[in-house]
Amino acid sequence: MASKEATVYIVDCGSTMSERSHGRKQTNLDFALEYVWDRITATVATGRKTAMVGVVGLRTDGTRNDLEGEEDYAHITVFQDISQMLMSQVRKLRNDLVLSSTEGGDAISAIIVAIQMIAKECKKLKYERKIVLVTDARGPMQTDDLGDIITKLKEDDIQLVVIGVDFDDAEYGFKEESKDATKAENEAGLKQLCNDCGGAFGTLVQAVDELGIPRVKSTKPVPSYKGFLTLGNPELYESAMAIDIERYPKVMAATTPSASKYVVRSDMGDATQSNMTMNGEDGQNGSYDGLAAVKNAMTYQVEDTNAPGGKRDVDRDELSKGYEYGRTAVHIAESDRNVTTYETTPGLDVIGFVDKNQYERYLDMSRSNLIIAQRNNEKASMALSSFIHALYELDSYGVARLVPKENKEPRTILLAPIIEPDFECLYDIELPFAEDMRSYKFPPLDRVVTVSGKEIEVHRNLPNDDLQDAISDYVDSMDLSTFGKDDEGASTEYMPMDETYAPMLHRIHQVIKHRAVFADAEPPPPYEILTRYSHTPDELVRKAQPALDRVLEAANIKRVPHKARGRRGRKEAPKPLSELDIGALLAQDPKRKHKRIDPKNAIAEFRQLIIQAEEDSAVRDACTQLKNIVFEWIRHSVGNSGYGRALEAIRVLREEMVDLETPAIYNEIMQELRTKLLAGDLGEGRGEMRYHVVTKKLGLIKASDLPGGATDDEVSKWRAAG
Amino acid sequence: MASLPYRDNTSRPSNYGRGDDDDEDEEEEEADESGYKSSKDAVLFAIDVSESMLTKPTGGDDKKSDTTLSPTLAALKCAYALMQQRIMSNPSDMMGILLFGTEKSKFQEGDQETGRGGLRYPHCYILTDLDVPAAADVKQLRSMVEEEEEAADLLVASKEEVSMANLLFCANQIFTTKAPNFSTRRLFLVTDNDFPHASNRDARNSAAVRAKDLYDLGVTIELFPISHPDRGYTFDRSKFYNDIVYSASPSDPDAPAPLTADIKPASSTAKDGISLLQALLSSVASRSAPRRSMFSHMPFEIGPGLKISVKGFILIKRQEPKRTSYIYVPPDSDKPQIVTGVGQLVADDTARTVEKAEVRRAYKFGGETVSFSDAELAKIKHFGDPVIRIIGFKPLSMLPIWAQLKQNYFIYPSEEDFVGSTRVFSALHQKLLRDQRMAIAWFIARRNANPTLVALIPGREQRSDEGEQIMPPGLWIKHLPFADDIRAPPDTEVVKAPDPLIDAMRTVVQQLQLPKAVYDPGKYPNPGLQWFYRILQALALEEDLPEKAEDKTLPKWKQIHKRAGPYVVEWGKVLEEQYRVWQKDNDRQPRINANGGAKRAGGAAPTASSGRSAKKVKADDGGDGGEAGITDAEMRAAFAKDAVGKFTVADLKAWMQGKGIKAGTKKAEIVDAVNGWHETKMEID
Repeated sequence: MASKEATVYIVDCGSTMSERSHGRKQTNLDFALEYVWDRITATVATGRKTAMVGVVGLRTDGTRNDLEGEEDYAHITVFQDISQMLMSQVRKLRNDLVLSSTEGGDAISAIIVAIQMIAKECKKLKYERKIVLVTDARGPMQTDDLGDIITKLKEDDIQLVVIGVDFDDAEYGFKEESKDATKAENEAGLKQLCNDCGGAFGTLVQAVDELGIPRVKSTKPVPSYKGFLTLGNPELYESAMAIDIERYPKVMAATTPSASKYVVRSDMGDATQSNMTMNGEDGQNGSYDGLAAVKNAMTYQVEDTNAPGGKRDVDRDELSKGYEYGRTAVHIAESDRNVTTYETTPGLDVIGFVDKNQYERYLDMSRSNLIIAQRNNEKASMALSSFIHALYELDSYGVARLVPKENKEPRTILLAPIIEPDFECLYDIELPFAEDMRSYKFPPLDRVVTVSGKEIEVHRNLPNDDLQDAISDYVDSMDLSTFGKDDEGASTEYMPMDETYAPMLHRIHQVIKHRAVFADAEPPPPYEILTRYSHTPDELVRKAQPALDRVLEAANIKRVPHKARGRRGRKEAPKPLSELDIGALLAQDPKRKHKRIDPKNAIAEFRQLIIQAEEDSAVRDACTQLKNIVFEWIRHSVGNSGYGRALEAIRVLREEMVDLETPAIYNEIMQELRTKLLAGDLGEGRGEMRYHVVTKKLGLIKASDLPGGATDDEVSKWRAAG
Repeated sequence: MASLPYRDNTSRPSNYGRGDDDDEDEEEEEADESGYKSSKDAVLFAIDVSESMLTKPTGGDDKKSDTTLSPTLAALKCAYALMQQRIMSNPSDMMGILLFGTEKSKFQEGDQETGRGGLRYPHCYILTDLDVPAAADVKQLRSMVEEEEEAADLLVASKEEVSMANLLFCANQIFTTKAPNFSTRRLFLVTDNDFPHASNRDARNSAAVRAKDLYDLGVTIELFPISHPDRGYTFDRSKFYNDIVYSASPSDPDAPAPLTADIKPASSTAKDGISLLQALLSSVASRSAPRRSMFSHMPFEIGPGLKISVKGFILIKRQEPKRTSYIYVPPDSDKPQIVTGVGQLVADDTARTVEKAEVRRAYKFGGETVSFSDAELAKIKHFGDPVIRIIGFKPLSMLPIWAQLKQNYFIYPSEEDFVGSTRVFSALHQKLLRDQRMAIAWFIARRNANPTLVALIPGREQRSDEGEQIMPPGLWIKHLPFADDIRAPPDTEVVKAPDPLIDAMRTVVQQLQLPKAVYDPGKYPNPGLQWFYRILQALALEEDLPEKAEDKTLPKWKQIHKRAGPYVVEWGKVLEEQYRVWQKDNDRQPRINANGGAKRAGGAAPTASSGRSAKKVKADDGGDGGEAGITDAEMRAAFAKDAVGKFTVADLKAWMQGKGIKAGTKKAEIVDAVNGWHETKMEID
């Protein structure tokens, strides 16, 4: 668990902050707030009660602080005492942190106020204490006697961060020309203060810039297994090895915030207007924003032949737990709940060793963990080290059986040694079991085998030498292993994993934080770094272009024209392996001569009629026949028994009409179906059938998908019940 | 329209409480594959019951009962095995068994009243109707294959030849009525007759027409041909079956052509010790699950302007035991019933029903919510259309072993959108394999899915000694962790092993290589899963519960002891020596209780024979505490003084973890659990 935090932000609201310096469009205060809000909302986003924030306005029109009696502390306003920050406070602070009309207010005094606030709240308890001052340093400042402050900051272990509007920063490469003399003096004073107390001092441009580099949340390592690594069985044999080890996650997907479902509260007349004005003291459960959570209420049914519709509701309390074995229910009494548990005892046991070079990386399952010796156990560390080095020297991996906790299912894992200058461990990855392998087969990629078993080396699916060469050159010219630059400008790996950030995770955080403060503004564009690795860098593309051009020429790729996929006449009738002319046989079949679809074989015969059809009238006739059959199925359906067939026929009809690009025929039929279902022409209680037609993507073919289709208006009308 | 609380009538209520199936919600990213798998499969076994199929092979080994089975019985056993497997692994899929060429005929139960069943499909006998199997179906099939008398009555070959056209239409009707709208429907045809209606061309043509009907209906015929080497008979598919089997499954016109070479006729005699049953089982296993792509029409952008299309598959996926579901036990009967759950959205404040269109999405933030319109959210989440876009290439050696976030996907080229995809993919695949390189790519799996960075690693085709493909050739998509996903290791100090100790361990490692020095997943069934299956099956079929599980993941202790034992003992001695040297060099006092350390190797450790309790002594007793957490001795002392509560919850939990003690989250519960543990330990000791 992260430790408790107390951070006080001191925001300079002085009248000089209204300037727009260095060609920036926003005022210096807004610029400063961009940083401050980002930091504050990042804290809010953690949702932690122990991450507390205080906010002090510097050079405010009014004065409100514990030392306000003294003249030195004028124009300093404590807007928020140290506490957990919630949305209501964010809204309040939005109104508080505005430009003042004064230049008075001493930044050093504000720091003292902040120190006091922290002392009052945190007492001697364990906290991470921090004061962040954002200012343009153009107010009056008494910087002569700072000794006490420095001592106090150090004593209380408070980190001081000073971020200045257009402060000079040689390292970052920023220098303000013709700097105001007061500012220069104050800037120097603050810098000295930071140096003396071990704080941080920087310029705002850099701070705002760096907001675009996501912060990675660090997580305290929690062991996923603690116990022995054994080789052999110590309970049976004296020759067994057992080393005390601990296992920790190495990779764990960071979770992206997920949105919950809400509806506008029914008791709110107009939800939108009340958003900003309500003072969120009294509400609960998200009611400030006029939203109520949406829950999924479950009702339960069992089959009951006597009940209307064949189903009967049962109460949640009447249910018990069990399993489904096919369509048979297996009841397991409460007392027998453990009967299906395979009883195991925790352990990590070596099964054997494998050759590293023969190991196929695609077998890796799940995320990786790392294994180190029990901490502060030097003997175990030495023992494990010999294991790690032996594997490394032999180019081997271990295979082991892991049971992390009692009665957990055993897993087989791979143990891979890693040796770094100051660190050694085993990385482990879960391996698949027999049941996890799906044997799908695919033809070879480097040769074509014909039905007769002959191998062909020249074939349209195989690359010729030109293509092989071109691809080879292309791959070589797109090399990323040396494309990156390190801090010294030397070649290094481009986009190593620890410099890539989860785009969606940080994108969602970014827009939530933004929206929380600027409720009415458009969400900002994503940080550059989140999309940086979505394309090959231009420089590399330029370098690889000649090779790429050769690949394009040799590959001769042709896009399959969208429309040509299934137009009438162009579609070839499928043939069996022997290439027997089934079409001719069908034509001779006496039962099919009259082109009347047998309802029992409706789908096949419909498809056959469509593929044979040479005129639109034949298509229309086939569709009409199928339509009538579908209507009969629905009409005679007992409960929902006929719906499956009807839906399948409708799906086939839709597919064929899309293929033939004749949406009108389908849409007409669906209009008729809608009318009939609503009018009860196909029997009473056909609502479920309608529900399926609407939800299973069987609706009208839209004009946006296919010319001649239905308009959006027609589509929504068709979907509507009334 | 009003949202009706109906569910897909064909869907089984296996995903309770997970909300609406039809919800096209792309919100929860980790829903991942479930969306693609809503499709269901129906398999109908059609098993030939002719005189020759009922004849036991000659030269069978009586001791191995498998080898003396008649082909029909072997096929039934195979179907039985498949049914047991699918009932677990594909709980919503259907299966049925149709015998043909039997003296008896039966289509549907109702037909027997009208007497029409026999007339409609003579010599076709539905043994198990196409449906999600029930325990009763499994039992019935079991008695068929295990008790000869049961089977003898039914397994009588008809004198008259069964009409293949009729058989195929019978299958057509079964699929049409029982499994409408299934995404895959397959007819598994087991026969040794390669030339039915040998003298009747019209009859063969009718069969071809009925086969075309099946094809148009979307049913795939999968042939399981049987040869009889003992009678000098080899199944020749070109005589008849190539007229009724189509090259690709109709619902997936782009599927690669079947590897015909792989579908050799099975031999009815035990060839090379492989019985017909085993041959059929492996043949069925390779086709038991329909090949479903996880994504298709995926643009694969190898470079700017160089786009081909690929399909994605999941070839390796962790199979998990089923989750419990709600069961209803009626008060007046002991026959439990399956319960269907229906979800309905309601507002939390007033419990009124909510229309889907009313639902808004909002994020919890600072005690309230921050909301966006759907349009805004769509825009925010839009990082571009689905694509696999190569950014560049790196050597495979730059992919650290720990760079593993979740299961890998497999991609294979498709000509569907771009003609020439296969040859370009092939060239790339060969280059990457040859030079041991990988591509780094930007990957968006679906519309508005989380963008990820992936490594594309080349996979070589692997075949068994018999020439059967074990692993297909293609590229594997490996999700790379972002900086956010990589955890820092805990602080620890490493004591590097001195060379003599490493040498000793190296000898140990060399003794214990797995066969061929590779991990073969096929040799390790999941013991927990198998146990679960066996128990559930025993409960469902009212069999006796098994006593003991078979667990192939348990190391072979005896072998390890025999082969490596002496070397481990030797290593133990070296460790003791080297550790003492290290302590001296580093000026550390030997601990009072030094045996509690790392390992207890053989005779080297003085307490080795004192049994179980000694092994439990773990961390250095009286060690430096702090970071190392509570030692057993400290805990024991605290327990004796009834002062376990003085430790923090975090420390207690850490200590408990190594002991496998479970407790709730409250401190009182934890303290109770620790005390309880000590109490029982006392008794044992």
